[in-house]
Amino acid sequence: MPKAFVFGDDIDTDVIAPGGYLHLSIDQVKMHSMEAIFPDFPKMVEKGDILVAGKNFGSGSSREQAPVVLMELGISLVVAKGFARLFFRNAVNVGLSIGTIIGSTDIAQGDLVSYDVAGGEIRNVSKGTVTRFSPPQGALNDILNEGGIVPYTLKKLGRSK
Amino acid sequence: MGKTSIEKLFSRLAGHGVKAGDFIWAAPDLVYVHDVLGPMMLSSYKKLGNPKINYTGKVIFVYDHIFPPKDSASANNIRNMLGFASGNNIESIPMGEGIEHTLLIERGAIEPGMFVVGSDSHTVTAGANGAFGAGLGSTDLACLLASGTTWFMVPETMVINMTGNLPRFSTGKDVILNIISKIGVDGANYMSMEFHPSSDTRLQLDDRLAIANMTVEAGAKTCILPPDRRTDAYDSIIWDEDAVYRSSLDLNMSEIRPSVAVPYSPGNVKDVRDVAGTKVDQVYLGNCSNGTFSDLQQAAEVFRKNPVHEGVTAIIVPATRKIYARALDAGLIKTFIDAGCTVSPPTCGACAGLHMGVLARDEVCISNTNRNFRGRMGDPGSMVYLANSYVAAAAAVEGKIVDPTEVF
Repeated sequence: MPKAFVFGDDIDTDVIAPGGYLHLSIDQVKMHSMEAIFPDFPKMVEKGDILVAGKNFGSGSSREQAPVVLMELGISLVVAKGFARLFFRNAVNVGLSIGTIIGSTDIAQGDLVSYDVAGGEIRNVSKGTVTRFSPPQGALNDILNEGGIVPYTLKKLGRSK
Repeated sequence: MGKTSIEKLFSRLAGHGVKAGDFIWAAPDLVYVHDVLGPMMLSSYKKLGNPKINYTGKVIFVYDHIFPPKDSASANNIRNMLGFASGNNIESIPMGEGIEHTLLIERGAIEPGMFVVGSDSHTVTAGANGAFGAGLGSTDLACLLASGTTWFMVPETMVINMTGNLPRFSTGKDVILNIISKIGVDGANYMSMEFHPSSDTRLQLDDRLAIANMTVEAGAKTCILPPDRRTDAYDSIIWDEDAVYRSSLDLNMSEIRPSVAVPYSPGNVKDVRDVAGTKVDQVYLGNCSNGTFSDLQQAAEVFRKNPVHEGVTAIIVPATRKIYARALDAGLIKTFIDAGCTVSPPTCGACAGLHMGVLARDEVCISNTNRNFRGRMGDPGSMVYLANSYVAAAAAVEGKIVDPTEVF
């Protein structure tokens, strides 16, 4: 069953994808994700896990590597009390499911979860509670529904496969 | 109902009147891309099937982040971008000319009234010259080049009313640090920051570069300050008197003190006197916010009288080749070398932990750069303090943070 990784406020892009490795391949960058605050993170993530954070998640750089390394490590959903603009936009563009927490959450580090992205709901199986979140709206949702801005643009250009 | 500057700008791009909250597809006037986030744009372009470029505005590639290349991976990144540029009629700025945000204003590529997008979050620096700039991710840029347009939400605006003038030893750096400290690191999230200096408030371009550059550290999407030279394009986006703002902030410049942002947030701002005595191992001067000629002059004022303290590494990075040459002519470079500083060619360098002065575990650096996140300049156990060039240079000669008045 998927588990949750919980982080605090203002987690910046240098922590998510450190600058010193950005000129290397994603496979190399992802092994350093969160190393400044949670060195075992890349080894502990399994496909389908989720990330829960506080306000202003992904502040700082425009680096798309930030949402991409989380996806590549296996994170399937990121929810936070708030996001920095560039991280939010990049996550939608690369097709990473993302949502803003409505109200509060009791999800703690390592809690087992199940979730419904379209329904905006995370079930905390460890505690028997529910956390709600709002997925991207409007045109952003259209982009996410196509699987990201690459398939969306291919369709727009009349080149979809 | 009147419009803010960004509403006027986006109305021009959309071809019809828009207001905050509206969603538009539009083509910016300029797109520029650098050597660290460019390679990812090329791989996204490949996923799109390497189509002909449909974007009809100007595209510029700048090689500044890891230049000169530090290893074969960074050298190959530049080589791949040069190949893409020449095959697609894209202008490549000659390598070594300087750091993109400062350089493109210096070269006249970013003019008042323009809307520019870049692969870098500090594209907001364009605001220093009366233009709007916004960062975009690599795949976003690839799709913009392929399809000709990209999407924007017209942002709400925060207005900053500025009165008075800065005291000696306070600079544009202190202005923006004080703003971030007041509104918080997400205080302007998704917003445009529109600066309204009073008629007697003097803000030279180099101060405006420092202010505009770090608006993104408060979460801003974009920003604008009045330029030195007005153009028709700029006049067409001047805010209306009855524009509707989300919020406002009044700033009396004469009360702004030299300030320091302490680890690990640009919002942890203290008066320099409250952190005096903090020992430093490295002093790093120069990046897209504060690698200007004024910054070099301010540092030279300090180093002319005092050498670098024993055990401290002081690195000076002029932001562009032209600034470097001007500093050479003015004797500033000789002052730095005589004082024991290391002078680097223009590069984004250690500001982003890339090369040329990356920090070791437990090392403490004071810098006039823009981010002091955990691990930003190197080892996750290092620490970065952000300050203006007087404060950073004064720390270099004392080996610890001091009020700059103490070294004069």
